[in-house]
Amino acid sequence: MDTVVGVCYEGGVVIAADQSNGRSILTYQTNLDKIAKLSSHSMMGVSGPNCDLVNFTQYVAKNINLYELSNDGTKLSTKAQANFARGELATALRKGPFQVNVLLAGYDDKTKGSLYHLDYMGAMQKVKYGAQGYAQYFVSSIFDKDCTENMTEEDAVKIVEKCIKEIHTRFLMSQPNFIIKKVDKDGVKVLSFDADPADT
Amino acid sequence: MARRYDSSTTTFSPEGRLHQVEYAIEAINNAGTCVGILAKDGIVMASERRITSGLLAPAKVSEKTYQLCKHAACNVAGLTADANILIDQARLRAGRYQYQYQEPIPVEQLVEYVCNYKQFYTQRGGLRPFGVAFLFAGYDEHHGFQLYQSDPSGNYSGWKATVIGANNQAGKSLLKTEYKTGEEAEESIPDLQEALKLAVKVLNKTMDGTTSAAAAEKMELYTMSMEDGECAHNILNKVEAQKVIDAVEAESASAGDS
Amino acid sequence: MAALIGNDILDIGSRKARRQREDPMAPGFAFGAPGQFDIPNVADPAAYCRSNFASVCGTGDEDQSVKFMKGTTTLAFKFNGGVIVSVDSRSTMGAYISSGTVKKVIEINPFLLGTMAGGAADCSFWERNLGMECRLYELRNGRRISVAGASKLLANVMSSYRGYGLSMGTMIAGWDEKGPQLYYVDDDGTRLKGKIFSVGSGSTYAYGVLDNYYREDLTIEEAVDLGKRAIYHAAHRDAASGGINNLYHMTKDGFVKVHSIDVNDMHYQFAEERARAMQS
Repeated sequence: MDTVVGVCYEGGVVIAADQSNGRSILTYQTNLDKIAKLSSHSMMGVSGPNCDLVNFTQYVAKNINLYELSNDGTKLSTKAQANFARGELATALRKGPFQVNVLLAGYDDKTKGSLYHLDYMGAMQKVKYGAQGYAQYFVSSIFDKDCTENMTEEDAVKIVEKCIKEIHTRFLMSQPNFIIKKVDKDGVKVLSFDADPADT
Repeated sequence: MARRYDSSTTTFSPEGRLHQVEYAIEAINNAGTCVGILAKDGIVMASERRITSGLLAPAKVSEKTYQLCKHAACNVAGLTADANILIDQARLRAGRYQYQYQEPIPVEQLVEYVCNYKQFYTQRGGLRPFGVAFLFAGYDEHHGFQLYQSDPSGNYSGWKATVIGANNQAGKSLLKTEYKTGEEAEESIPDLQEALKLAVKVLNKTMDGTTSAAAAEKMELYTMSMEDGECAHNILNKVEAQKVIDAVEAESASAGDS
Repeated sequence: MAALIGNDILDIGSRKARRQREDPMAPGFAFGAPGQFDIPNVADPAAYCRSNFASVCGTGDEDQSVKFMKGTTTLAFKFNGGVIVSVDSRSTMGAYISSGTVKKVIEINPFLLGTMAGGAADCSFWERNLGMECRLYELRNGRRISVAGASKLLANVMSSYRGYGLSMGTMIAGWDEKGPQLYYVDDDGTRLKGKIFSVGSGSTYAYGVLDNYYREDLTIEEAVDLGKRAIYHAAHRDAASGGINNLYHMTKDGFVKVHSIDVNDMHYQFAEERARAMQS
């Protein structure tokens, strides 16, 4: 039900996620932040039940933090973080899986921005753009048409906003609010949100 | 009285010492010498091969040098049997890291892991410390080429040039005068060829008296360098090694003339 | 449980299990602690629970042999004056009203209230367990646990028993160092921080009133009235909600029980008020 979309641009990545949570026919909240910061230069947009979403993102984020603490601040590359997350999903699969689908984005000095698409079964692809949830069926064509090489941050945000607009017009479920974040050489930053996650 | 504290590795003596661990470190000081030198474009590790009997079949490729993973290798001083256990652990750790992160393990983490394993044997009851000291050579994207040494207590440290094993004091003092540290000028750090010659020079000195003359079969020369973005490990064959040894001899002869 | 396993002298497994259970000093023995909570002695506990103890929203609860208290309206909201917690008191077993005077607000401690929706046993058991954990925290650390921490303890229990058929939809309201707090925790491990929550079969009706009349700057009197009316309207429309409206107000000095009013009395009072308003 959740929507997460992500696009790479020259020098960074933009991720957007809806802010809703509900159960059966009820919407409980529309100001959640489903894009977790993993380290100074990486973040993870997650779709799935609140329980798995929180448990998995916290588990990955804290382990990455632990790695940095126990190795004199050595940072894991985005690729290593994605492979770690993938490994944890795969190990969990046969003993009570985390029902989460993930877009993991990060910035490294060498490889610049990179984006990884993971599903709950532990399949992983490195992608230029991607989406999770029903949103895939709406926005994949927009990405295919509009995404080019050497896009700027503005280009990427514009495409993401097009995706959100399409979700608003064609998707039956109500997802009124979205949060958009980016990661680039300066780290993770919130670009915009429709409802403040801190306002609870 | 002091003997009371010798048998158990896990008990401090009244002077606050762990005798067994100290003995193990002392044992290394009689083992075959190993020299490690950080070069501009790689790392050199040279070690002494002790020929105990002419009947013994010589090692096929290496005797003292072990590759741990694509980007790290080590030299052994001490009990080879103990070393094999630690090398297995190091290779396992490097492999598991690669499996988990799909990336090579940072060199220091590998060294630290082996040293933690060693330390464990100095604290747990009923165990004996590993009688092994290592030189580790490795490359990673964080800190480039790195050289470490470790001792049986589990201590490790990073070096530009160092010696372990018999006569290491003499070797170190020679390195101190001959190895130009980077503080003076980056360019004065030796390249691989110069480092090789320096390593042979140090071995010549430490092996003095035990051998009549330096011979290729008594030394194992190893270099690590970058080739096409990959780490290249190379153990010099007899001909190559002899060439380096001859060059060193020629240099010292001409230096002696002047 | 032990009797079901069998008392055969050769049944070493069960004897060992009993020995462990009978030794209260055995490490890790704490009644109700995760891992010590007995599960049904059947081949597939998960399937057994699903068919007999399906959760409020769970699928396929037509053939349940054990009926749970499911028809409920509970609500809680935060405003400048604290937190209002308001609930009904009806308990149903299918079409039968099994009780009209259930206490659906659980007083965990003076600064923590929990509400009850779903399985009454699951709610009261785990919220009492939470009360114990919170007291232990206080003894260990010399200060009260935050509401965030308390609700996380409960959510962790729920997530460790996920799929085992627990049924619970609760709001944890409290006042801690950071002021008034409100969390929603349910049986599938969801934990949300928010301003307004309502749980139970009548929650949609309660939300209708709450969402329209809620303001952050309500006075205490207005807030109490809103909590009361939202429950009344839910009880009016939802057959499975009704009985007495219990309403609590969480203040910086702990909770205050504001009132217990029969929703029938409310009905006639409101009807009178409306009639009077129309005349004038």
